[in-house]
Amino acid sequence: MATISLHEADAAVGKRKNYLNQTTTIRSWLFTLDHKRIGLMYLAAGLTLFFIGGMLAEVIRTQLLVPTGLIFHGTGTIQSSYAAYKHYNQVFTLHGIIMVFMVLVPMIPGALGNFALPLMLGAKDVAFPRLNLLSFWLYISGAVLAVISTIMGAVDTGWTFYTPYSIDTSTYVVLMVSGIFLLGFSSIFTGLNFIVTIHKLRPFGMTWFRMPLFLWATYATAVIQVAATPVLGVTLLLLIVERVMGIGIFNPALGGNPVLFQHFFWFYSHPAVYIMILPAMGIISEIVPTFSRKHIFGYEFVAFSSLAIALIGFMVWGHHLFVNGQSAELDAIFSFLTFLVAVPSAVKVWNWLATMYKGAIKLDTPMLYALSFIILFTIGGLTGVVLGALAEDVVLHDTYFVVGHFHYVMFGGTIIAMLGGIHYWWPKMFGKMYNEFWARTACILLFIGVNLTFFPQLMVGAYGMPRRYASYLPKYQPYMVASTIGAYVQLVAFLIMASYLLHSLFRGKKAPVNPWGSGSLEWTTSSPPPTDNFDTIPVIGDHYDPYDYSHLQFDPAIGGYVHTEEHVGPHHVYHR
Amino acid sequence: MILSNLLQTHASLIGPLSKMAGDWWLPKGASTFSPEVRFLWILFFCITVFFTSLIVVLTVFFSIRYRRTENRQHADPSPDHNTPLEITWTVIPLIIVMVIFALGFKYYMNMNVPPTNTYNIGVKAQKWSWTFTYPNHAVSKTLYLPLNRAVKLSMTSADVLHGFWIPSLSIQKDVVPGRVMTIWLEPTRVGRYELQCAEYCGDGHSLMRSPVIVASPAKFAEYLKAAANIWVHNGKTLPLAQVGRELYSTYGCNGCHTADGSMGTGPTWKNLAGNQVQLANGQTVTADYAYLRQAILYPGRKLVKGYGNIMPDFYNDFAGPGHTRNRRLNAMIWYINSLSNKANSASQPKIPNIPGTKAMSAPAAGKAPAKTTAASGGAKSALPAATVAMGEKLYSTLGCNACHTNNGKPGAGPTWKNLAGYPQALTNGKTEVADYKYIRYMILHPDKKVVKGFAPIMPAIYGAQLGGAANQKKLDAIIWYINSLSDKRGPSTEPPTGK
Ligand code: HEM
Ligand SMILES: [Cu+2]
Repeated sequence: MATISLHEADAAVGKRKNYLNQTTTIRSWLFTLDHKRIGLMYLAAGLTLFFIGGMLAEVIRTQLLVPTGLIFHGTGTIQSSYAAYKHYNQVFTLHGIIMVFMVLVPMIPGALGNFALPLMLGAKDVAFPRLNLLSFWLYISGAVLAVISTIMGAVDTGWTFYTPYSIDTSTYVVLMVSGIFLLGFSSIFTGLNFIVTIHKLRPFGMTWFRMPLFLWATYATAVIQVAATPVLGVTLLLLIVERVMGIGIFNPALGGNPVLFQHFFWFYSHPAVYIMILPAMGIISEIVPTFSRKHIFGYEFVAFSSLAIALIGFMVWGHHLFVNGQSAELDAIFSFLTFLVAVPSAVKVWNWLATMYKGAIKLDTPMLYALSFIILFTIGGLTGVVLGALAEDVVLHDTYFVVGHFHYVMFGGTIIAMLGGIHYWWPKMFGKMYNEFWARTACILLFIGVNLTFFPQLMVGAYGMPRRYASYLPKYQPYMVASTIGAYVQLVAFLIMASYLLHSLFRGKKAPVNPWGSGSLEWTTSSPPPTDNFDTIPVIGDHYDPYDYSHLQFDPAIGGYVHTEEHVGPHHVYHR
Repeated sequence: MILSNLLQTHASLIGPLSKMAGDWWLPKGASTFSPEVRFLWILFFCITVFFTSLIVVLTVFFSIRYRRTENRQHADPSPDHNTPLEITWTVIPLIIVMVIFALGFKYYMNMNVPPTNTYNIGVKAQKWSWTFTYPNHAVSKTLYLPLNRAVKLSMTSADVLHGFWIPSLSIQKDVVPGRVMTIWLEPTRVGRYELQCAEYCGDGHSLMRSPVIVASPAKFAEYLKAAANIWVHNGKTLPLAQVGRELYSTYGCNGCHTADGSMGTGPTWKNLAGNQVQLANGQTVTADYAYLRQAILYPGRKLVKGYGNIMPDFYNDFAGPGHTRNRRLNAMIWYINSLSNKANSASQPKIPNIPGTKAMSAPAAGKAPAKTTAASGGAKSALPAATVAMGEKLYSTLGCNACHTNNGKPGAGPTWKNLAGYPQALTNGKTEVADYKYIRYMILHPDKKVVKGFAPIMPAIYGAQLGGAANQKKLDAIIWYINSLSDKRGPSTEPPTGK
């Protein structure tokens, strides 16, 4: 009986070496070429940065408890207020830079993509393992430069570095921008690596349309990373040149055009929001079918819509510039395209819901995250739609409504999906299970916290509160207080999460090969996988389908799912 | 301390809470754009609430209805795609967003195209304040707007990006340095609103707010008159230093320069006048009148050690013709002097701090008459030399010389050379001879009659400064001086002499 033999195979694998304990020296980690180890290092570094960024967010929210500022405020004279608020500005700038450039953009591809992509594909590693290691170290170098610049004189420009303020300010812009330049190269190399890997390392039988959707999403993301990030690099270089040599590209005092910078910046940064959201959608497209035990609805649509979003996403950057004086014709075109790109995102939500329809749904932690994602992303997307309407953007631009919008999509979307992905692949990464009760509690608490934080921001923004304010009119205070309470709730949720995840690392129950009953390849190798991923290179049968669950059966004895059908060979040929 | 701060504000939370949520979250609109914005917003609001609720209900319903149980381990059979369904749920959102796009665009064009006959106000943004200039050269920190009148705002920035944003009036535009940004709006409700800077601009960004007052046309005119008349308060002419203190905040100098000796982005004004200043080029100079004047007018020329070259060029902000500019400049320098323990005659402006005091009796004025008399030819009836000299002095101290030349050269206003006794064509089509009555009237009521070919730009403040019995002597002195410049002067053009 297949069940038994798999069970035994599992036990045998448990005693074997895996990628975590194959070698144990620090060197073997720092200079590893194993995509899984690099993924884990990304995860560790990224979560550390996420923690720092998060604490800065708590500082921001605490400051905004009272209209004049609770932490940074003046001592009576207006100059003392200016001096105090400068520190607040440094705090939100750092928060934005860390979260955008060091967490949202690199983390899903860097941590989860690196870990899961070759496994899901059935490959031994990425195409260029050395380049992969270089990506990681560029990421670390960028972060270190950012830390140095912060110690020397924390930047106060906002994460957008708008000129001419970024040229005028006395803070260490050049150093910070150099750091982000390195982060950009890290991102480009990762994208390049993934594109080549997906093109070249698919095992025999793994056609494009047999790939799990996470791979499609990662592929579309990689295209944006490779095509858009160089523009960011050039823009930042120009900014450095402008600051150091005073050429007059962006500086109006020297005949430059500050709006040009905004175009360059958003030409990267709008596609960058799809770098953040597409892999997140990919994760959701894995979790929802798995936990519904039902084939993803409309595979082709979900796959192609990722590419469509990636391509159209290059043509909507001007929606960030509706009130900066660009011509009305341009405004109209950008507004139109913005609406166009919103539709495929919306349709994906229907696809996920249709996948759940008549499924056999189990609300384990990853699925709870996926459901949170669907709801939060819906709110985020719809608020994006109103911002895309020209007349509405005039009254909402640069207010807390925009802050609310992008936190709903970036936190409610990307971060929630990333946490869902971490919980989904955690057993595979570490071979350990976590405490399901506390994990669900933290997820629900986080869902409440996110809404409590960002919903009042939507309201107060519509009511007229501008963003990036260290102090504000008293009438906005109730909303601000509610938002801050939400941020504290989130903090509690994260502390719970950190506790049970650490507990899992050291004391967690051993994870089975396939704890969730997923059909994709990474769940056929041991948890954690061996260094070479698979004992034998997977051969994909003609009927292989990562979203077919009919041959998987829960086995209470091992707490995971096993194949019930006869199959050829121990783990590596998949008929259906 | 933080705690007590929190507790204090606790009570103030209850009140606003009841008013939370505004008008569908928006502030109550007060411009012609507001109803359109509100309509589209409510439409969007309903769409969002509908779809969000639908999706929440579906996720919850599916999670319960199709939950996995002991007996239900597998999904029910159902297709994994359905083309008609997929087309439907793509097309419906597409239609909805296209409607929103069309409405958003239409309303946006209304915001973009101003009507022809607008009232124009200048807006100057700088770190971290707003200054407004009106057609009568009034300058204010409060934005006054006339009710039901289309207003066009021409906006410039002295330094970095700023964002002009009045939530209640449903209008926002970035102010990009190096360009003139224009917007228009028409207020429809009297009230007091806030202008807040929306585009991040540095340390004081969140304090870069100004009150906005929409007033009935009559009230509006009153506000403007008051704003224009910075020199007089309750009928009393103010000392220049006091006016200067007002200007210090009107023009936003206080954004960088402190008055109490504390640190700022620029050098403090405390004990500046008359003291030594270290320059970035290594020199040390004394902050005398000439230095202060130059430092204000040409900020970058003599940089003070330890400060960046970031002060904006203010000269053009001192709205209005040269004499008002000059006068404002002097007021500012008087204020700087009033803050210094080393202020002295070298650091003070030549024009007296309290108008109408020193200068008239100053012996220095006595030197002039001979020259003046000589210049006027002396062939006619004798001129009262001392009075003419006083008039000439006033001609420059009051700043008349900024617009009116005394040698026949063209200026912003008619030259005073050969004015008295000559016929003057007016914009109302009439022609009047410039006799004493005429000249007097033109000085005291500059806006009532305007000479053809000139703009009605002469400030009304002279009416206050030179009108009334107390100022009769000064007014006549000026008119004597004007007479002294004309070859057609005579009894009808000269101020009445004797009793
Ligand atoms: C339905 C899809 C979306 C639409 C229609 C949309 C539309 C918009 C528009 C029009 C703005 C400009 C608002 C303004 O500054 O006035 C904006 C801002 C922003 N959006 Fe979205 N958005 C969408 C999805 C996303 C997603 C998925 C992300 C990221 C994961 C995102 C991140 C952002 C960010 C970061 C900003 C503000 C950046 C800044 O000014 O600092 N958006 N969005
Ligand atoms: Cu965008």
